[in-house]
Amino acid sequence: MIAIKNLYKQFGNKEILSGIDLTIEKGEKVVIIGSSGSGKSTLLRCINQLEKPSSGEVWFEGRLLTQADPYLHEELIKVSKTFKKMKAEGGADEELVEEIRKNKMLKPKQEGKEFRKLLRSFTENNRLSIDSARQKIGMCFQHFNLFNNLTVIENLILAPVELKLASKEEALKQAEELLQRIGLYDKKDEYPNRLSGGQKQRIAIIRSLCMNPDVMLFDEPTSALDPEMVGEVLELMKELAAGGMPMVVVTHEMGFAKEIATRVVFMDSGRILEEGTPDAVFNHPENPRTKEFLSKVL
Amino acid sequence: MNLFKDIFRIISTSELRNYLFEGFKNTIVIACVAALIGLVIGFIVAMVKIFAIDNPKLKPLAFLCNVYTTVIRGTPIALQLFVMVFAILAIPGFKVTAIILTFGINSGAYVSENIRAGILSVDKGQMEAGRSLGLSRFKTMTKIILPQAVKNVIPAIGNELIALVKETAIVSMVGSTVGTLTFDLNQAASTINKTIANYLAPALLAALLYLAVVYGITLVIKLIERRLRAGDSN
Repeated sequence: MIAIKNLYKQFGNKEILSGIDLTIEKGEKVVIIGSSGSGKSTLLRCINQLEKPSSGEVWFEGRLLTQADPYLHEELIKVSKTFKKMKAEGGADEELVEEIRKNKMLKPKQEGKEFRKLLRSFTENNRLSIDSARQKIGMCFQHFNLFNNLTVIENLILAPVELKLASKEEALKQAEELLQRIGLYDKKDEYPNRLSGGQKQRIAIIRSLCMNPDVMLFDEPTSALDPEMVGEVLELMKELAAGGMPMVVVTHEMGFAKEIATRVVFMDSGRILEEGTPDAVFNHPENPRTKEFLSKVL
Repeated sequence: MNLFKDIFRIISTSELRNYLFEGFKNTIVIACVAALIGLVIGFIVAMVKIFAIDNPKLKPLAFLCNVYTTVIRGTPIALQLFVMVFAILAIPGFKVTAIILTFGINSGAYVSENIRAGILSVDKGQMEAGRSLGLSRFKTMTKIILPQAVKNVIPAIGNELIALVKETAIVSMVGSTVGTLTFDLNQAASTINKTIANYLAPALLAALLYLAVVYGITLVIKLIERRLRAGDSN
């Protein structure tokens, strides 16, 4: 349902993501682990385009969220001026395409009208507007980011009502049910600053659920919490996982990863170094960096 | 005790007293209309600058806005007043318009920076949370960011209003006529001085009236602040 293809992200001269390929199928619970600064959060934020990737593509339910990346499409490379020039000098198509890809030889502005037109139409034909994609991709942040100017219940119904996905009554009904489920119904008229961290994060989670998302992204949801509040948030996430909600979780909670993950991904300096079942990654890691990391955190 | 005698004379002489009243009224009218213009300009300029951060189409407009704030904040208001009244709008009958526009445009530059700072002081996560739920940048701005920014902006706006009221005292530099809006409170004091040799007496009365307006603004701002803080104690 989510496909990340050859994703790069630079901030200025610093490369944060260096060619990430990752596919997430329906029903999967993917946990991304790795040390701080390895690019885990940036990768997660690239999925719903809170960060714009520098190159590469992100697909969601068969639709493109980014600009098309010409290097990923042979037919696009083949209409470029660079390719045609090289072709005139001789060489097999396959090799030329490979060479262009390897050396990043395309200059999108100078590759001719045909190239630009095909690139644009490819993007447009496959594109899903980012706002509609985000309605289906729930996101939870390290610092909760509840809307400070709204009460709990207003936080929950704002997006569904504003986006006309539900009437106010329907949204209220769903929000109240969810609040009851997590035992915070009595807080519905409080402002966020009156809640504990654990309560805020659980409400942030159900705020996403009010949009009935197809997948949930969690960006270190327990890192900003007092230790005694971590449990209640993880408990809710486990419940969600058990209910079949696909999720991508960036976390330092290894126990949680072992318990709910269908796949664990280990990242280091912008690359995926190892991925597999929790058993494979935690108990039989192959990459020396993975072993080193796990020896420190387990 | 000549001072008290002169003050009493100003208050008890209806002609002199009316000068003060007229000046007071005109100062308030100029300041109020200019403040309104300033708020509108300031809000629009701040919005353009904020939205231009991640909307390339607005970059040229944002550049113009930056030129505007730089020039206005970088030159004396007295000079701006001269340029406006004697050059740009040097059309008979447009003097009052020129004066009010000058103060409005000047105020707008400061207000825009206040509003911009207020918006930027709202946690970045609020915008990200709104966007990640699928709300547009505009919706998130109006429903989430602006309501929180208002609280941060009100004290600074109050400051600007106070400064504006006092700045209008330079109106007489471009010549003022009794019976028109150009006859402000400061000019009233000077005019009374022509009848009463003591300048301190009318000046003290004018100062008291300025003080009263400024104190009034301070009270209103405080009231608004308290109201906003009662809404959510964040």
